[in-house]
Amino acid sequence: MYSLSEQQIDFILRDIKSRGVEMEDLQVSLLDHICCIIECELEPGGDFESFYRKTVSRFFKKELREIEEETILLLTFKNYYAMKKTMIITGGTSVVGFIAGSFFKIMHWPGANVMLLLGITIASLVFLPLLFILKTKEANSTRDKIVLGVATFFGMLISLATLFKVLHWPYANNMWLISLGILFFIFLPIYFFSGIRNAETKINTITSSMLILFAGGLLFTLSNIRPSKQIVINNLYAYVQSEDLLKRMQERMSDSIKADALYSKINADCQKIKSLILQDETGIKAISTKYENLDESMFFTEGGLGGEFYDKGEGAQLLSDLQAAVVKYNASNSSAQIPVAYSVLDIDMSKIGQYTNLSVLNSMVRIQMFLASAEK
Amino acid sequence: MYVYIMYSSELIKGTLKTIVLKLLSDNQKMYGYEITQKVKELTGDKIQITEGALYPSLHSLEAEGILSTETVNIGKRVRKYYSLTKKGKSTSREKVSEFADFMNTMKFLLDIKPQLG
Repeated sequence: MYSLSEQQIDFILRDIKSRGVEMEDLQVSLLDHICCIIECELEPGGDFESFYRKTVSRFFKKELREIEEETILLLTFKNYYAMKKTMIITGGTSVVGFIAGSFFKIMHWPGANVMLLLGITIASLVFLPLLFILKTKEANSTRDKIVLGVATFFGMLISLATLFKVLHWPYANNMWLISLGILFFIFLPIYFFSGIRNAETKINTITSSMLILFAGGLLFTLSNIRPSKQIVINNLYAYVQSEDLLKRMQERMSDSIKADALYSKINADCQKIKSLILQDETGIKAISTKYENLDESMFFTEGGLGGEFYDKGEGAQLLSDLQAAVVKYNASNSSAQIPVAYSVLDIDMSKIGQYTNLSVLNSMVRIQMFLASAEK
Repeated sequence: MYVYIMYSSELIKGTLKTIVLKLLSDNQKMYGYEITQKVKELTGDKIQITEGALYPSLHSLEAEGILSTETVNIGKRVRKYYSLTKKGKSTSREKVSEFADFMNTMKFLLDIKPQLG
């Protein structure tokens, strides 16, 4: 039996540390283990150093650190099965929520939004990250891990973008376009060039890449649907005609109406709401009623109410002021009511996102016309 | 991971924990080197557990509360003895009977005739 000196033991411990084993617990275990092997298997008076090198090289494939990495992996993944179970359950729940939610949505049944919200949120914030963690454990190369990471991020972002879009929340379009950008310019190149290098995966990679390109292209086409230019022009002229009509009506209005405080309040609120929307779409506060002045800079597409409207809640505040003023007006004018039902005057502020710029502009002009046409 | 010799590593991979737990239920407390030597001895060198597989398993079993440890100072070094906790004892029984059941199933599935002698 070989007898180890204290210097030799120190030497072994130092060597273990220098090979990158940092967990003290593991250092101690390995030290004792190596000492045992040397004491039992080395002849007295044998060559300590070369025997030590030979012994320690049995412990790993490439470097001693592997043991520590494996230990950390096992410690981290002792919840592996719990994670897998959670992943399957959340995956199932979100698919059910999503399908049921979409179905309820197209049937216009209540509860659709809650189901979609739950389904998509669980899928993108719980299911996909878990899937990523578990899949990267199986992935061998860093490249595979990067591909998985980018794919997961894309999946999370595009599902959230869809959710935002469906619930009419702001920034949905930006998220949608950013996620498609990630798909086309980051994911696809990494996936494609890492896949075709390997003869085994070459054909699969090419076909999958084409499918991804095709599916992504379809999504992009969907995000880019714009009404034809003719419809845009028609809408604008119709709106300008209403403004023109309003102007003519207001010119013929009696001074007593103009002097009415409630009239001025409602009229001013409508004017402010319109200018918030127009400012965002065309950069000007009020549109000219001279038809020859309408040019391309004033064409705008039907869409959300825009940043100016939502900023600091100004638009919503004006709208709820307007609602209150109209209620007051209707109470004091039994003969000339402003219709409220099924209009922007009748809605809860949280649903304002469902209204488009054009519909609100037209609503405002009509309210002003009702005011102007009222005889006192 | 790399348990080797005689049998393919896939075959042994899933059984390392079972082997360790069974040894500890028969021997009260053991340290790492002792476990590798015992397995070698009992299997006539057919199964040799590598250190690269053993220590990660021992540490994770300890973290799961299946093994408890006590340390003994031996000169300049520290020896860590592993033994089964109460939970570990039942886990050990479960693992062994699960494996016995598995072997019977495999025998049946692969149509292995018991060999005499």
